[in-house]
Amino acid sequence: MATDPARATNDPLTSDAFRRAIPLFIPAIPFALVLGVAITESAMPTGVAWSTNIVVFAGAAQLATVSLAATATWFTLVATAAVINLRHVMYSAALSPRFTDQPRWFRWVGPFFLIDQLFALSSVRDELSSRDWRRFYLTAGIFFFVSWTLTVTLGMLVGSTIPTAWRLDVAPAIMFAGLVVLGLTNRPGVVAAVTGAGVCFLALDVPNNGGILVGAISGVAAGYLADLAQSRRATDAAGAS
Amino acid sequence: MSTAAALSAVLAVALITYGSRAGLIVFLADRPLPVSATRALRYVGPAVLSALTVNLIAGGKGASGVEGAEVAAIAVCIVVAWATRNLIAALGAGMVTLWVVLALL
Repeated sequence: MATDPARATNDPLTSDAFRRAIPLFIPAIPFALVLGVAITESAMPTGVAWSTNIVVFAGAAQLATVSLAATATWFTLVATAAVINLRHVMYSAALSPRFTDQPRWFRWVGPFFLIDQLFALSSVRDELSSRDWRRFYLTAGIFFFVSWTLTVTLGMLVGSTIPTAWRLDVAPAIMFAGLVVLGLTNRPGVVAAVTGAGVCFLALDVPNNGGILVGAISGVAAGYLADLAQSRRATDAAGAS
Repeated sequence: MSTAAALSAVLAVALITYGSRAGLIVFLADRPLPVSATRALRYVGPAVLSALTVNLIAGGKGASGVEGAEVAAIAVCIVVAWATRNLIAALGAGMVTLWVVLALL
């Protein structure tokens, strides 16, 4: 295929970045389309909601921002997006050694692109030199950024033609439920998710959608304690043997 | 939401997002996070996204905003996501369940 970006270049590192990035982008396509529809239905002006692609570039935080605009206060909306983005601190911590010997401009520009997929790709390329790693990171990062923005925009065009009877307004909630399940890797994670959902349900009457934050904080605390208990048990078992 | 409120909210989210990605790289290069912080951060994703799911289903109307069809759709989505580890399949199954239950009710 002439338009396949992986073949559009003869540079091995660039084609390698495309070849690894494309399969990771495919599962994000329905998410981007759902976000596009949510942008057209957002209580925010459409242009402002669309601008999250350019200035935020974080799918879950974007979806929360445009969906919560209808019901939440300014503070709850911003705080929820902030909490959703906390996981990036982990990515940034894990990748920071690879940034220490990079030029200053890249240390400022690089983090903007740090989405889950880019972390997954770039954190496992320790064999690349600083310069090659930077090129790999930026190539994949810019690919994700451009593809994401185009696909979300496509979702906006498609979304406005879909009848409301299809109830696409429910799609973001279903999307988030699926994302939770796919993100679960251990039992403390399940404890965190169930606690977060349960406490949020009990706290639905907290004003200004504050139940999200109450649920989130309870969920993190429960997950933390479950993780602590699990590693204690593992230590005890190792000590006993 | 007014244009000014929406714009300032988006800008705040943008700055916070960038800060969470860049903070440790730009300002604290090579200073590792304490173990307890890493342990807690690991559970931020599941906790906040599941709380957000519940909140969006309620749609700002408290527990009365939760429709049976939505609960069925979420339940099917969870089962399919668990069984297939495939987000597209989970989303599709959830939406189909929503349509079927809405048509039956």
